[in-house]
Amino acid sequence: MQVEINVNGKARKAEVEDRTLLVYFLRDTLQLTGTHVGCDTSSCGACTVHLDGGAVKSCTLLAAQADGCSVTTIEGLAIQDTPTTMQLHPLQEGFKECHGLQCGYCTPGMIMTAADLLKRNPTPSEEEIRFALEGNICRCTGYHNIVKSIQWAATHTTKPEPNQQEEPIDADKHLFTNDVTTGEVVETH
Amino acid sequence: MQLSGTHVLNAPVGRVWTMLMDPVTLARIVPAVSSLEQIDDNQYKALAEIKMGPVSGSFSGNLSLLNIRENEGYSLHVKQTSKIGNADALINIALKSLDNDQTELTFDGDARLSGLLARTGQRVISGVANTLTKQFFANFDEALIHE
Amino acid sequence: MSNKFIGQSIKRREDKRFITGKGRYTDDIVLPGMLHAHFVRSPYAHARVSSIDLDEAKAMPGVIAIYTGDDLADVNGVPCGWQVNFRDGEAMREPKHPMLIPTGSTAKHVGDAVAVVIAETKDIAIDAAELVMVEWEELPAVAAPADALLPDAPKVHEQFPDNKAFDWTFGNPIEEVDAAMEKAAHITELEFVNQRVVPNAMEPRAYIGSYDETFDKYTLYTSTQNPHLIRLLMCAFVLGIPEHKVRVVGPDVGGGFGSKIYHYTEEALVTWSSKQLGQPVKWTSDRSEAFLTDAHGRDHATKAEMGFDADGNILGLRIKTVANMGAYLSTFAPAVPTYLHGTLLQGLYTTPKINIDMTCVFTHTVAVDAYRGAGRPEATYLLERLMDLAALEMGRDPAELRFQNFIPPFDGVEQPGYQTQVALQYDSGNYEAVLKRGLEMLAYDDFRKEQAEAAKTNKILGVGFSTYVEACGIAPSAVVGSLGARAGLFESAQVRVQPTGKVSVFTGSHSHGQGHETTFVQVVADKLGIPMDDVDLVHGDSDTIAFGMGTYGSRSLAVGGSAIVKSIDKILEKGGKIAAHKLECAEGDLEYAEGKWTVKGTDKSISFGDVALTAYVPHIYPAGLEPGLDFSSFYDPANFTYPFGCHIAVVEVDKETGKVTLKRMIAVDDVGNVINPMIVDGQIHGGLAQGIGQALFEGTIYDENGQLTNGSYMDYCMPRADDLPMFETDRQVTPCPHNPLGVKGAGEAGAIGSTPAVVNAVIDALWSAGHKPKDILMPLTSERVWQAMN
Repeated sequence: MQVEINVNGKARKAEVEDRTLLVYFLRDTLQLTGTHVGCDTSSCGACTVHLDGGAVKSCTLLAAQADGCSVTTIEGLAIQDTPTTMQLHPLQEGFKECHGLQCGYCTPGMIMTAADLLKRNPTPSEEEIRFALEGNICRCTGYHNIVKSIQWAATHTTKPEPNQQEEPIDADKHLFTNDVTTGEVVETH
Repeated sequence: MQLSGTHVLNAPVGRVWTMLMDPVTLARIVPAVSSLEQIDDNQYKALAEIKMGPVSGSFSGNLSLLNIRENEGYSLHVKQTSKIGNADALINIALKSLDNDQTELTFDGDARLSGLLARTGQRVISGVANTLTKQFFANFDEALIHE
Repeated sequence: MSNKFIGQSIKRREDKRFITGKGRYTDDIVLPGMLHAHFVRSPYAHARVSSIDLDEAKAMPGVIAIYTGDDLADVNGVPCGWQVNFRDGEAMREPKHPMLIPTGSTAKHVGDAVAVVIAETKDIAIDAAELVMVEWEELPAVAAPADALLPDAPKVHEQFPDNKAFDWTFGNPIEEVDAAMEKAAHITELEFVNQRVVPNAMEPRAYIGSYDETFDKYTLYTSTQNPHLIRLLMCAFVLGIPEHKVRVVGPDVGGGFGSKIYHYTEEALVTWSSKQLGQPVKWTSDRSEAFLTDAHGRDHATKAEMGFDADGNILGLRIKTVANMGAYLSTFAPAVPTYLHGTLLQGLYTTPKINIDMTCVFTHTVAVDAYRGAGRPEATYLLERLMDLAALEMGRDPAELRFQNFIPPFDGVEQPGYQTQVALQYDSGNYEAVLKRGLEMLAYDDFRKEQAEAAKTNKILGVGFSTYVEACGIAPSAVVGSLGARAGLFESAQVRVQPTGKVSVFTGSHSHGQGHETTFVQVVADKLGIPMDDVDLVHGDSDTIAFGMGTYGSRSLAVGGSAIVKSIDKILEKGGKIAAHKLECAEGDLEYAEGKWTVKGTDKSISFGDVALTAYVPHIYPAGLEPGLDFSSFYDPANFTYPFGCHIAVVEVDKETGKVTLKRMIAVDDVGNVINPMIVDGQIHGGLAQGIGQALFEGTIYDENGQLTNGSYMDYCMPRADDLPMFETDRQVTPCPHNPLGVKGAGEAGAIGSTPAVVNAVIDALWSAGHKPKDILMPLTSERVWQAMN
């Protein structure tokens, strides 16, 4: 069947099998591999993305269920200034600032879940943060620094001055090979 | 997994026994069984559809009756395979004639599970077994009324 | 040489790709023409493969090939890398661990593979695998280690009817220990199970094999902790292909915790089949498969006795343990219950007589191997549970009892290292200091008052102590060789100075969360006095890195980092010759600091960049000196390193429900010198969570047929954010005296100390309320704790 899903601000149309899960549409069809698969029971949260603005586990949804919806993945969270520079989301900054990641595998899901939390509750308590993360498993950090990263982001919603910025981050090439600045729908392979 | 149950049926032991030995009746009263096909003396090929918590699947396999004692009981050996795992159960069924033309049916046994069923179904399986047991007796009562 | 970066919490350089979704894990890699593999696995713990019918599966469109064990008759099994013989000299029993179980043979654990389906897509491979008809003859199985020794236990390998892989005794002769115990005024006895846990790296294992006919060369992308080791094992022992024809790449790896050290059958199979088919083959484990096929950890059943004199001095320690090896011997498995466990039973104490008796058995379960800490958590659990229990039994304070029995401080320089009764010589230690600091952080006196108050209520409190020492920086090759290792455990490093003075560092260590791209670069930049931006770290590719033994046993910085320092020393020595020639002075007149060689007492100097350029443009150059500035080194450590620390847990137990709440987790660790405090703290945090996980939440449950009944995240309880408190960490520094950085290793410490601390705390809480259990089986679920009180 054919689905059309707006992913990170770009309309993406593709032929998928009926049973294709949203996470595999993102990973395999669009090659947006920042969204990870860590389990097969919708328990670990590594696949968390935003669907029409709210966090969902993309392994619990069929791509077909997201037809006509907007999806934001970790690749679409930062603001892309130029093809090679971007402004990180405060949570991305926070995770780096507070060592909120080690192997990085759960990180995209953690950040997407936390972004959803901060949207609903901009000043969460430690308890509220831990409760919000209950559906995301991290095996490396013991969650201590993840909690701190989210607290950091909650208090740094404005951008640091440009001269405090790290060097520009290289853009992900496959995201921009199908440029749709013209607004037209891009067929993926 | 342990299976057991007991129930009083409103029929004399002879009638209950006949029904227990009849594949057509059995297929109707055993929950989840969709077909029972005789392949040899006391050997049947069975198809079943079962849902257990997060996993569901269609099972196919053999069902055989052992240790047959007329009007007293038999042992039921069920060996089913499916994509979600396999089950191997041995269930002893005993009949006891009561007054008032009633019969007490008691069964107990053990089912061994493997595969996905064993891994993710265990938590819910005793609940499923209870439901199936209740259904079995309800179906039996129903069949007794309508036959 | 000034330290601008060492000791600083430099933010990690690797983070930017991970926080923007641009990490590249094996499953993210797509090669042209790539096929997908899916395995048909045994649903039984023990069953004979009577027949395999592939017809229906092969007929499915999109299926490229299906292999069974019969197609792999010429391929060896995966090898074991460590040999521990029986105490009577009989060689360790090493059953073949075949790639796939051939027809007529038996599967020996749930998940043992019988066939692999390779298809155009993963979905097709999965669908076709379901059509592979295997006729099984189910056989009785045994899962628990102690059960495997029962006389009528089902046999795992027909040829080894007693199910023993090997047995082993270590320490002082048993007669001496028995004699010491006879003099004891008090003996604390404890029988317990150190339960089996699943490492659960968040990235499931994934492999891609690819064969290039033009160059007759294989590439294996693998989610591993040690690419070179995989290449060696796979080439030399399994597939019999020459190593120079194989490139092994460990790209970004989503955690390992030990489970990705070993060479797995699936790695060799995707590599082998890529040549058969002339197309790349990918396999990615799903979580269910991971539970069934990743090597597990721990799984000891132990009886331990510790004898004390009337004053509370330890007189002896006597241990009998049965350890589960699983169905096959995994790569490092025999070392874990023996040389990584028995040798640590001195702990921090002056115990004069120690004997350990291990029996290591086969069962119908997946292999057990090193899991974060590997043997050392088991040793620490044993000792520290005994210490707290002994204190309770003798009416002593657990902290006081430890102070009394601690080995006195020694720095390994002025004072010699401490020779234990169990072979090791500790390098340096100051055990009193970490416990003192821990008690300060706890505010111990206040806590005991609070506890006494709480004992009158339904929410009782307990404190548990654990003071540990571990052996890290694995390992001196000659020592481990004498202990049965079939490999050296050195590390290699190459430091290549580019003509412009920029530096590429190639390390055989592998980072899968540890942050080497930052910490190693901090070391290099400081040693060379250049900006961190001028240094890049390369790891994880056997084609670009000469050799490597990989990352495990908290060894990367202590061994891999030391190899880097050796190369830097060579760079500076040669650079000094070039500098002296350019500055027309003697080498001895130069000093190197802040990125330049200066003639002592003058302002004449030459920068590192100028020397590098001269090395590659050697126009004005010392006679006889080779051009270039590029050195490789191998570092083989002189000894293990011995980090130590004190972990203290405070728990609240609900008397009504048995629910345990971890209120505080204090960790004071001494991991030697610290390069990046932020990263060391992060390592400790993660280890604590895993150790707490074992104490309170995790553990496999096998049924009587050998079925793992909690093989998913719905049933296996992983610690989650709302299960844990913020951790309270601090550190002491006792440098390692025998490596150039003075570092000891921090990767495993958290997981080693925390488990007994938490269990001790729950036991302490119960004793405070008048219940006197000696042990509660881990994980300490509400039900088990409640039963201990009712």
